[in-house]
Amino acid sequence: MNVNETISVIQIRNVLLVTMPADPDDSTIAALQERTLEAMNNRDVQGLVLDLSKVEILDSYFARTVAETAQMVGLMGGTTIIAGMRPAVAITATELGVTLGRTRTVMTVERALELAGQRQVNGKQQR
Amino acid sequence: MTIQDQGEVRIETEADIAVARRAVRDLAAKIGFGITETARIVTAVSELGRNVHKYAGGGVMQWHALKNGGNAGLELRFEDQGPGIADINEAMREGYSTGGGLGMGLPGAKRLMDHLDIQSTVGKGTTVTVRKWRRQ
Amino acid sequence: MVSTVETAPAKRRDGGQTSTPEVSQEMLQILVDNIQEYAILTLDPEGRVTTWAPAAERLKGYKAGEIIGKHFSVFYTREDQESGKCQRELEAAARDGRFEDEGWRVRKDGSRFWANVVITALRDPKGNLKGFGKITRDMTERKQADERLRQQNRDVLEMATVPVVQVWEGILLVPLIGMLDSSRTQQLMERLLHRLTETSSQVALVDITGVPTIDTQTAQHLIETIKAVRYIGAEVVLTGVRPVIAQTLVHLGIDLSNATTRASLAAGLRVAFNLLNLRVGAADAAGRTELA
Repeated sequence: MNVNETISVIQIRNVLLVTMPADPDDSTIAALQERTLEAMNNRDVQGLVLDLSKVEILDSYFARTVAETAQMVGLMGGTTIIAGMRPAVAITATELGVTLGRTRTVMTVERALELAGQRQVNGKQQR
Repeated sequence: MTIQDQGEVRIETEADIAVARRAVRDLAAKIGFGITETARIVTAVSELGRNVHKYAGGGVMQWHALKNGGNAGLELRFEDQGPGIADINEAMREGYSTGGGLGMGLPGAKRLMDHLDIQSTVGKGTTVTVRKWRRQ
Repeated sequence: MVSTVETAPAKRRDGGQTSTPEVSQEMLQILVDNIQEYAILTLDPEGRVTTWAPAAERLKGYKAGEIIGKHFSVFYTREDQESGKCQRELEAAARDGRFEDEGWRVRKDGSRFWANVVITALRDPKGNLKGFGKITRDMTERKQADERLRQQNRDVLEMATVPVVQVWEGILLVPLIGMLDSSRTQQLMERLLHRLTETSSQVALVDITGVPTIDTQTAQHLIETIKAVRYIGAEVVLTGVRPVIAQTLVHLGIDLSNATTRASLAAGLRVAFNLLNLRVGAADAAGRTELA
């Protein structure tokens, strides 16, 4: 399998950072959902940051998988933040008419981790 | 090696959809389409290729570089021997169904390309032809 | 009276003189063999290659042995071959003496190059067509330079029709003038999103003060632009939504409630600053004083 095709999943404190490759095939896209659910099941993950900064194509299957995953994460009490969507992808996603569901979008992974971290800080303060 | 001006990709498995995308991306780059235009074209390929795989059980995508005076473009043909589409107007209607019905791929592809033509006979198969020209 | 009829030597275009026919023949051959920039070759009256030169081999990829005797249509693209272009060119050269053309030609390996081609009819002193001379020049570089220039012109034009101005760190302004059709919307989205990511700006003020009326299509285009900007992680503040525009929007049933809109650019700017301040840090938010 092409090295460019694999997703990378790492956990930073309570946030899962999933990085997608440039043009993932269907099984790689499905892995996004599988790996996220697996992580939320096994570890204390409260948020998902989806790094799309390398992604060049987002078709309806990809979009639907992202929306479904975000919905699942939300049902389990977590949040999903999408980072780094490229202009060309944003434009075609809009023209295609897809939805990415319950997600927040930011420009950089840095910003996403910041936000995801803050949520947790606030969450803890509320207790 | 540079991609040829015409060729085809058989779409039998899910992985073939990605192969089709890559071929068309290379072709679009060769013809000189910009980044956003290429994204539109390749996304349309993904939608139409996925229809062929999901609803017809397989088929073929043929590509063809186009020339018209000073302008360049490409034409793609998605052909299958699947069940065909009973109501083409219904299939072409805008409306995103979360079930990911057939209605998703066609209106999307039409929106992204300059031209979309569809021929379908129930029980025989479907041919979708799309075209895009470089922006002058 | 006896008169002798002499056939005059063929007049050369430059009216020049040669010393002896043999030397001029040799010099011509040396000329053709040494010229680098032009591929010079000859065809018979039917279009088959009769002579070949090193520059021709370099440009087109064929060795002399492979190409002599073949029809010159192999140098053309499939579309040109099918449309009968080669035949037309020979006919034109035979009729007018020469034919000049610019277009794609194909090398032996299948790759293309942009060529300037001159086909000259070669006639003997009696005027019989002995064949054709073909001079091909590789213009790919010039064509690429032309393309770059055209692209630059398009960029300049695009900037004029969709101006995007940075008014503050993190805030871009797009003063729209005129109506928004599909093509302009595409330009707007591409240019705005590109500039937003380039400058890492978080807010785009899209000012429609200069848009005379709003119709359903323009409103749809604006809504799309707002969606696309949100996808990349920035936000749009739509300004210049003056009373008559607000009225039209409501009457048309267009729902912009999901977007941030203001009547004036000044009010929009205030919103933009607020949005930026909120980013400074969550810790500040609690103790921040509301800006007027």
